[in-house]
Amino acid sequence: MARSNEVSINESKMVVPLNTWVLISNFKLAYNLLRRPDGTFNRHLAEFLDRKVAANANPVDRVFSFDVIVDRATNLLCRIYRPSDTDDPPNVADLEKPVKSESSHTVPVIVFFHGGSFAHSSANSAIYDTLCRRLVGLCKAVVVSVNYRRAPEHRYPCAYDDGWTVLNWVKSRTWLESKDSKVHIFLAGDSSGGNIAHHVALKAAESESGIEVLGNILLNPMFGGELRTESEKRLDGKYFVSVQDRDWYWRAFLPDGADRDHPACNPFGPKAASLVGVKFPKSLVVVAGLDLVQDWQMAYVEGLKEAGQQVKDLYLEKATIGFYLLPNNAHFHTVMDEIKKFVGSIC
Amino acid sequence: MVPYETAAAAPPIPIGNPPASSSSSSSNTIIPKPPEIDGLLAGAGYKVRSSDLRHVAQRLERLETAMLNSPSQQLSLLASDAVLYNPSDLSTWVDSLLSELNQSQSLPSLPSDLSDLMSNPTALDGSWMDQQLPPPTAAVHNQQPPQLTVVTAVEEDSGIRLVHMLMTCAEYVQRGELALAGSLIQDMQSLLTRVNTGCGIGKVAGYFIDALGRRVFAAGGGGGVPGGSAYENEILYHHFYEACPYLKFAHFTANQAILEAFDGHDCVHVVDFNLMHGLQWPALIQALALRPGGPPLLRLTGIGPPSPDGRDSLREIGLRLAELARSVNVRFAFRGVAAARLEDVKPWMLQVNPKEAVAVNSIMQLHKLLGPGSPGDPARPAPIDAVLGWIRSLNPKIMTVVEQESNHNQPAFLDRFTESLYYYSTMFDSLDACALQPEKALAEMYIQREICNVVSCEGSARLERHEPLANWRERLTRAGFRPLHLGSNAFKQASMLLTLFSAEGYCVEENEGCLTLGWHSRPLIAASAWHAVAETAVGAVSDVPVVGGVVL
Repeated sequence: MARSNEVSINESKMVVPLNTWVLISNFKLAYNLLRRPDGTFNRHLAEFLDRKVAANANPVDRVFSFDVIVDRATNLLCRIYRPSDTDDPPNVADLEKPVKSESSHTVPVIVFFHGGSFAHSSANSAIYDTLCRRLVGLCKAVVVSVNYRRAPEHRYPCAYDDGWTVLNWVKSRTWLESKDSKVHIFLAGDSSGGNIAHHVALKAAESESGIEVLGNILLNPMFGGELRTESEKRLDGKYFVSVQDRDWYWRAFLPDGADRDHPACNPFGPKAASLVGVKFPKSLVVVAGLDLVQDWQMAYVEGLKEAGQQVKDLYLEKATIGFYLLPNNAHFHTVMDEIKKFVGSIC
Repeated sequence: MVPYETAAAAPPIPIGNPPASSSSSSSNTIIPKPPEIDGLLAGAGYKVRSSDLRHVAQRLERLETAMLNSPSQQLSLLASDAVLYNPSDLSTWVDSLLSELNQSQSLPSLPSDLSDLMSNPTALDGSWMDQQLPPPTAAVHNQQPPQLTVVTAVEEDSGIRLVHMLMTCAEYVQRGELALAGSLIQDMQSLLTRVNTGCGIGKVAGYFIDALGRRVFAAGGGGGVPGGSAYENEILYHHFYEACPYLKFAHFTANQAILEAFDGHDCVHVVDFNLMHGLQWPALIQALALRPGGPPLLRLTGIGPPSPDGRDSLREIGLRLAELARSVNVRFAFRGVAAARLEDVKPWMLQVNPKEAVAVNSIMQLHKLLGPGSPGDPARPAPIDAVLGWIRSLNPKIMTVVEQESNHNQPAFLDRFTESLYYYSTMFDSLDACALQPEKALAEMYIQREICNVVSCEGSARLERHEPLANWRERLTRAGFRPLHLGSNAFKQASMLLTLFSAEGYCVEENEGCLTLGWHSRPLIAASAWHAVAETAVGAVSDVPVVGGVVL
């Protein structure tokens, strides 16, 4: 036991920069404290530990942010990030000044779902605030980060419902319309956020809402199934993540009594409906080669292809989870470029 | 803010903050940091010196091994019971977890690294703390980008117009164009009649328009607060206390810290900078009564304004508290100190006994000392420095400080105006959740007086000079105080209290050893605890700053 632990520590240390290793290991160990064997979660300690940042309506590196209460009934909050032309404080500029007045180009609106395996983090977590800010500059986009309700207090489908609420809200904001009077919407997310993006896009496609999602960007999306895949067995506990903790989070999110073949977890599994003929957005799926979930992620990619959907997968052999949190590795830059190209090619 | 209805217009509150203003700390993207700190981890909210990374990594490895050797029940128990502090300071954090884990394990022999820890106390003190002290001459404001937090809800169109006009008016005021400002005020007043002033933006805008009016139309500038006898203030304060959790949180958090600081002391003395009705103290008296080993002798010195009508209101409160103390068998003595201003208080008035453990308690008082002070001898220290100086001379075991988490003391009027517009909008929004009347109405009046003071007063009349936690940290550190961190137990209890007693939407956050209470994602008040270091030790930190923890 101890020996394999040593081995795994040494292996993971060799593939990421030291500060990344410290960051992700710290998360891992802190999260171990928060998950209780009986399935409950130490939410107070989780909130105490989470490093948060407040929104800042003054631009920092040409990006400013503000929070909006989208639904008072569920206290659903979003953080909106917008590009600024200058570093000067907005001069009586409306926070919700129409985006078309600031750009003659189409302005992508990226609805972002932070990760955290459905249980951790918030829209105002420092790591996600940083990531969203990057996306603004990268894609010249407005980013809407959703502070969705988390497991285990709020199981499936709460997170999806919150995503759907925000999608509708975004669609109806005239200030988010580009010059062609349309809101150009992308969904994006990492880990559980990627999972949410898929399901919200699916709902949009299947409903008669007429909401068109132009593209989905899934970073290390969280999927799974009852089967134990090869990558899960091979990489269990080696690079910050274990099958046991994945199982815990699924039990916390999925309805009581459901197993991991529930379509929320396994969208191309035995219990899922077919996506053939569904007007599903183009997808960019980023898979980290040292993520034990990769077999499920590649199965997702295959599933989309087999259903006739457009998907590009980016497989990064030596990347671990969380590689996109700090800009100190080549994978980070590769992915940022891909995201930029992906959004640019559609918008 | 108006309660959410179907999708309609847009945002109420515009912005405008010149970069020169000070701010609360944030970690958005690239911020100049002392070169030793790893910038990327800082962006994620963690402070680790680059040179310490390896050491922290080793500790993390040890922690992982220790956790693997613990049954998961034990880990959960540790998580619930252990009191943990300041997660931003990774090095100390990991070490404290390690020591907690090793203590809770029944393994007889400890690995050699742990005995290193125990015999080498400085390993625990996270000498990174030294790095936190700014050089004495560091300017207060130049490091962080200005922070302006906005939480908005769906609003009406006329609300946006109103806010635009408010900002424009404030700009006119700043530029001295009072005639233009005045005519805009009249326009706004008429627009107000068409806006729903019962709630949301209409309500807040109304108060700000009123405050601007006082400033612009009052003879001789300095509009002054509506009415305001001490007695009236007390009533409003009491209703503010009942209507929303800010004061309760302040009292609760401060009491928790004071209780821990008094641990092991038989003679304790609390100096309350603003007694009011003494609402904070029954809970502390009862907690002391219940403390294992029995209560100490408690002295309470309450400072408050003199009563104009001959009543000795301080003494009356003291008598009631004494009655309560008697009923729970706590030996208690009270002393009232009547002073119109905190800077008029002299330490000898407090009659502090050198053998006592002293707690100084300041709930929203220190900011009043940031004004210009009495004219006269320019060589006299500023009121804040004078007061912090004598507090230090009392050598308090703890000083609890609660302040509004916003910068309403920026030199430029427009900046103050903008920031207070956002701040009070959020506060009013939170008040909307309160159903109690007349508490809510009177609480609003209480807040209105603050708004008036921030917007329409200047000079020594402007008492509400709120500054954010980052500024207070710097100021108190320069004055020779060191933080006593508030931990996960205080955090948890505050969160639980909120769940029980308040509407959803209130949010407690941990901020490098301090706790903030806010509405949704916007912190509105910040609570911190401090102790004074010995005169000779300024600049060289040698103690582990935890409340109730062992000082190594």
